[in-house]
Amino acid sequence: MQVKSLLLAGGTLLAASSAAQASGFQVGLTGAKNVGMGGTGTGLYLDQASQFFNPGAFAFAPTGFQVGGNIAIPRISFRPGAADQGQRNLQNTNVFPFSGFVGFGPKEGKWRLGLGVYTPFGSELHYQQGWEGRYSLTDINLRSVFGQATLAYAITPQFSIGGGVTTLLLGDVDLQRDIPVQGQGSTAPAHAQLTGKAEHKVGYNLGVMFKPSDKLSVGISYRSAVNAQINEGEIKLTGIPASAASNFTATKFAATLPLPDVYSFGIGVRPTDKLLLAFDANLVGWSRYQSLDFRYTNGVLGGPNATSSSSKRQYQDALAFRVGGQYKVTDNFTVRAGTFYDFSAVRDGFITPETPDADRIGATAGLSYEFAQRFGIDASFLFEDFKKRSQTQDDLISNGTTDRVAGTYKTVIFVPGVQLYVKF
Amino acid sequence: MTTFFSTVKTARPALALLGLGLAGLAGCQPDIDANSPAASPGSADFTSYVAVGNSLTAGYTDGGVYNEAQANSYPALLAQQFAKTGKGPATFVQPAFSTAKKDGSGYIKLQVVNGAPTPVQPSLANNFLGEQVAFTGVTLPGGAQLEAYTGTQPDNLGVPGISVLSSVSALTNGLAPYGSINPFYERLLTTAEKPTKDYVTYIGQKTPTFFTCWMGNNDVLAYASAGGVVIATNPFGGLTDTTRFGIGYRAILQTISKNGTVKGAVANIPNVANVPFFTTVTVAAVLASYQRAIPALRDIYIQPGTTTGAANARAATSADLLTLTAQAFIAANPGVGTSPATAIPSQYVLDATELASVTARTTQLNAIIAKTALRFKVPVVDANTYFAGVAARGIATNGVDSNTTFVRGNFFGLDGVHPTPRGYALIANEWIRVINSYYGSTVPSLDANSYRGVLLP
Repeated sequence: MQVKSLLLAGGTLLAASSAAQASGFQVGLTGAKNVGMGGTGTGLYLDQASQFFNPGAFAFAPTGFQVGGNIAIPRISFRPGAADQGQRNLQNTNVFPFSGFVGFGPKEGKWRLGLGVYTPFGSELHYQQGWEGRYSLTDINLRSVFGQATLAYAITPQFSIGGGVTTLLLGDVDLQRDIPVQGQGSTAPAHAQLTGKAEHKVGYNLGVMFKPSDKLSVGISYRSAVNAQINEGEIKLTGIPASAASNFTATKFAATLPLPDVYSFGIGVRPTDKLLLAFDANLVGWSRYQSLDFRYTNGVLGGPNATSSSSKRQYQDALAFRVGGQYKVTDNFTVRAGTFYDFSAVRDGFITPETPDADRIGATAGLSYEFAQRFGIDASFLFEDFKKRSQTQDDLISNGTTDRVAGTYKTVIFVPGVQLYVKF
Repeated sequence: MTTFFSTVKTARPALALLGLGLAGLAGCQPDIDANSPAASPGSADFTSYVAVGNSLTAGYTDGGVYNEAQANSYPALLAQQFAKTGKGPATFVQPAFSTAKKDGSGYIKLQVVNGAPTPVQPSLANNFLGEQVAFTGVTLPGGAQLEAYTGTQPDNLGVPGISVLSSVSALTNGLAPYGSINPFYERLLTTAEKPTKDYVTYIGQKTPTFFTCWMGNNDVLAYASAGGVVIATNPFGGLTDTTRFGIGYRAILQTISKNGTVKGAVANIPNVANVPFFTTVTVAAVLASYQRAIPALRDIYIQPGTTTGAANARAATSADLLTLTAQAFIAANPGVGTSPATAIPSQYVLDATELASVTARTTQLNAIIAKTALRFKVPVVDANTYFAGVAARGIATNGVDSNTTFVRGNFFGLDGVHPTPRGYALIANEWIRVINSYYGSTVPSLDANSYRGVLLP
């Protein structure tokens, strides 16, 4: 989540988790059962989290209420390409993504109505004081909460459709970097802090499910692209020398982050009563994110005519493949396992410090214990291992991306989670 | 919204316990191996390192040499990086000034004058800008005398102002005792040595295991920065001829390399046209500023060569360069250059012809440096190409762009000729690159952004 949030944030803005199906643990973090199964869900109708994975599948899900949370524990390391003074370990800060859903409808009926809330991102990265990339980024803190209202309808017992309206309820960002300008008598360069709240944008997601029998279910869903838009962000500058002040007059900024749409396809297979296998594939339209542009709305930042700035991103569409399964050991106790492979949205030579993305492989496990066929607790654990990713200064020069650092990144993330549910 | 977060807060202890249970796993910080192999000296031996050169070697920046500048000279940075190989110099001695006079020959500061940041020279009139300068009050032919250096012979033998021509007294038949002329050299010598010991003898006293040598800049720069005007009383103010340069350079390199037995590296002469001293005050900019008051003005007028008088003045073209010092002169003499009768004096102009002769001589001297380096088996750091590259494209390191624009570019300091500490760090990285390539060493490079550019008021 943290890394993906960074990925989506691209530096300052929030990203919609919903849009980021290909974001590894992020998908899993909505719905502990799904986390435990490798983040699959498009072809399943296990519980209320289907509002998120496939609104069409929601028509076949039971009614009830569930709420859960996770601790995302990242460990990110960086090593510069040149002038290597040793590995930089980021001050990793744990973040706590959560989700909650409620679903209503007639028990054996054709329709479902649901409401949900989830946090796609809450990310904090603090780089070491004075690190090589401090003029690119020193700190980032991202929070977001999404809400969704969903309606699903089973046209026939084998075929259902559903749709939801999503909205960014809360999104804010705090991004900091050093500025390569220094005053006489100052031991440190100037510093900038950009903070902003995103507009409450609205999106949608649609889904269909085809369930020819109890043994097989196939789902397709689509989440729309949403622009995370900050109109009146604040700029706070410190350490700007007086003679350069006329080049740093802006106190407000505007920026928009295009959040991608996601196509998902999933299959659920029940070879026996006790065993469920799932397979998911997601395609995330990251290529919408070509550059991160800032507009300084009431002044300039960096030069006499610098009313805007642009940083290349040129993200590419990303695929993710997921496989998972659950096994009902007893009527009350179920165990889960899963794995996924998620391709990076960031091209070679374009890695930014707030988004050290790479291809990643994940392993998940989970379990559920149910009481009286009504109440239950789900636990999940996700481990995500990013491939080591490097870029050299020559790569940056040839791509025109010299506003970032050359070096190697390696990330691993551990995410334990727990969820409580009630079936109505 | 806060209710959701507080729900999470109450769930946190439970989650934390879960987390603790997995603490073993969660404590894992991924290890990344170094991208480059461990620092090693290769076939070179850095245990005793000596640097020979002029102001660039001494760490001269912002118009002066002072203790802080010496600490940021490229030889000091190289010594620091050499030490990381495990076979580096235990100490690296600079000809420092005493603590009470740590600001040496003083340095230019930017001060806000009429609302704009302007470089201001320290002088008696402004109490040397409050700097703790080391002037004794005596004036030598080459400048104000500085406090004598009384320590052991330094390892950084950089002498601001020295040229190949002035390093070897035989080249001027001993007519010009450099130790009595140049205050930076004078302070290193005893009273007995001052009139007799030339630079090549002085450097011969050291016994290094590794050396760097960057000489030759002043053999063209003295002429260029005086706008091509040679003052008769200064025997070192012209362009050094190739014969005497060859003799002198060979003598210097033979001496410091102990006849080719000591390893080292040399650097060649950059083109003067790439430094902001010559590229900041452009003909076009001066014309544009005059046209605000006199829209009909078509050209500004300069005295080419060493001429004087309106009959010899001509219109300036974009191929003519004005010195940085021309800016103050134009400000003090409004209207200068608007007509042939008020043409900008030739010492502020490096006209196209003079520039061509400087560039041609630089190329010839660089050829001599290359040949001599080959003879004594040392690599050449092509400073000429390096500075041209920075002037043309700037240089990007770790998210910061530096270039040769005066003040804002952060590569050159306030005198327009010498780099900032950041510029010296970038140059040191270039030395390191060439040394590593030639000697198979893996001396680590520097993060140039850790060194200051130009500090603004």
